Amino acid sequence: MKSLVKFACLTVLPVMAAPQQFQLNLDSVAAKASEHVDVSLNASTLQFAAKFLDSSDPDEAKVKKLLVGIEGIYVRHFSFKSAGAWNEADLEPVRAQLHGPEWSKIVGVVSSEDGENAEVWLRTSGNKSIGVAIVATEQKEITVVNIAGTIDLETLAEIGGHFGVPKVKPADKPHKEE
Amino acid sequence: MLTEAVETGCDLRALVRQHQATVFSIALHFLRDRATAEEVAQEVFFSLHRNLQQIETPAHAAAWLRKVAVQRSIDEGRRRSRRPQVALEDVAEPAAGIRPGDPLLSELLRKLVATLPEAPRMVMVLRYQEDLEPAEIAAALEMPVATVKSHLQRSLALLREKLARRGIGESGWTG
Amino acid sequence: MDWLEDELRRALAREDPPDGLAERVMARSARGPSGARRWLAAAAMVVVAAGAAGAWRQHQGNQAKQQVMLALRLASAPVQHIQSEIRGISQ
Repeated sequence: MKSLVKFACLTVLPVMAAPQQFQLNLDSVAAKASEHVDVSLNASTLQFAAKFLDSSDPDEAKVKKLLVGIEGIYVRHFSFKSAGAWNEADLEPVRAQLHGPEWSKIVGVVSSEDGENAEVWLRTSGNKSIGVAIVATEQKEITVVNIAGTIDLETLAEIGGHFGVPKVKPADKPHKEE
Repeated sequence: MLTEAVETGCDLRALVRQHQATVFSIALHFLRDRATAEEVAQEVFFSLHRNLQQIETPAHAAAWLRKVAVQRSIDEGRRRSRRPQVALEDVAEPAAGIRPGDPLLSELLRKLVATLPEAPRMVMVLRYQEDLEPAEIAAALEMPVATVKSHLQRSLALLREKLARRGIGESGWTG
Repeated sequence: MDWLEDELRRALAREDPPDGLAERVMARSARGPSGARRWLAAAAMVVVAAGAAGAWRQHQGNQAKQQVMLALRLASAPVQHIQSEIRGISQ
């Protein structure tokens, strides 16, 4: 996974976050991290923020559209000074919740080459998708995301190509030497 | 800070007592209305209360109060949008035998001063109520000294002329 | 000395204000702005507060917007990675 800009621990807006769809209890990870980002945005905050998105800007218009079905966004991102600072056991409290009946893993990618792993889980109620969980790990980074509501993952992936973050193209990745 | 005042124990109440006659009289002689003059005086001292921390010395307080009293009096006069209406024909003819020092003469002079335009009227009040020199009047009214002197000269000439018409003056003391 | 100037000094001599001016000033100072001025001060404060509130709301809105963008960037990266892996496999 490309390196994300290192973010210092941010003070989130003083909002009352709606309950996440699973507990992002990663205190043991935070204790080992050199930096961590904690973002919790409930529906009212998202609606408020949407008012300040510029519809005439293509990127912001896309975000505005994306936010329509979203009821909450909860993100925990950790950076570590060195590889090996964390282990899989640190993520067990989260993974255990995602193994519940309301969650289904829809895709998982494991890259043994560079140690990048990513999983997307879908939460359903009846036949309706009501949330997404994303667990992504690298040697020196962990990202856990819960998006409550309905979200277009294709559009979400496109957003990463804007705001100064370059898209990752298949052709850009080095080919494994034979 | 009002260090001297602190040393002598002065405070807002003390400043009010010390300067209330000055402030009230400037407003009274300019506006010719006691109730309005008291309102202006209260406003001036209330303004002092809000700006007390800027006052550095007792002399500064005196000058500050005088200047604010002048400004507030002028403002009030404009708000009332009239000169104190004492038309010359309304000024009662002095009784026979009026002499210097006669209270009726004082009352006449106060009324005549009230008929002057705004700027020379205040110049006369500051000169003869407060005994200020032209340079001090100029500072209080933020006008050139030459203008102050001009107002003084013309106002005195005008008053002499009006008094003379009434037979009051060196050449015409009645009685 | 000129008689007129003497008379003018006499006529324009300082007069004492009505009794109790000092007490009324002190009482009013303790009370704060009164009457119409209190109303005007309050109205002015509302105007200032409204302006300040508007600026504060804009600031809050921009902050919220930045937080949303940050959250979506962080969420988007792994999804992109998955997409690229899947496309790489399928090519």
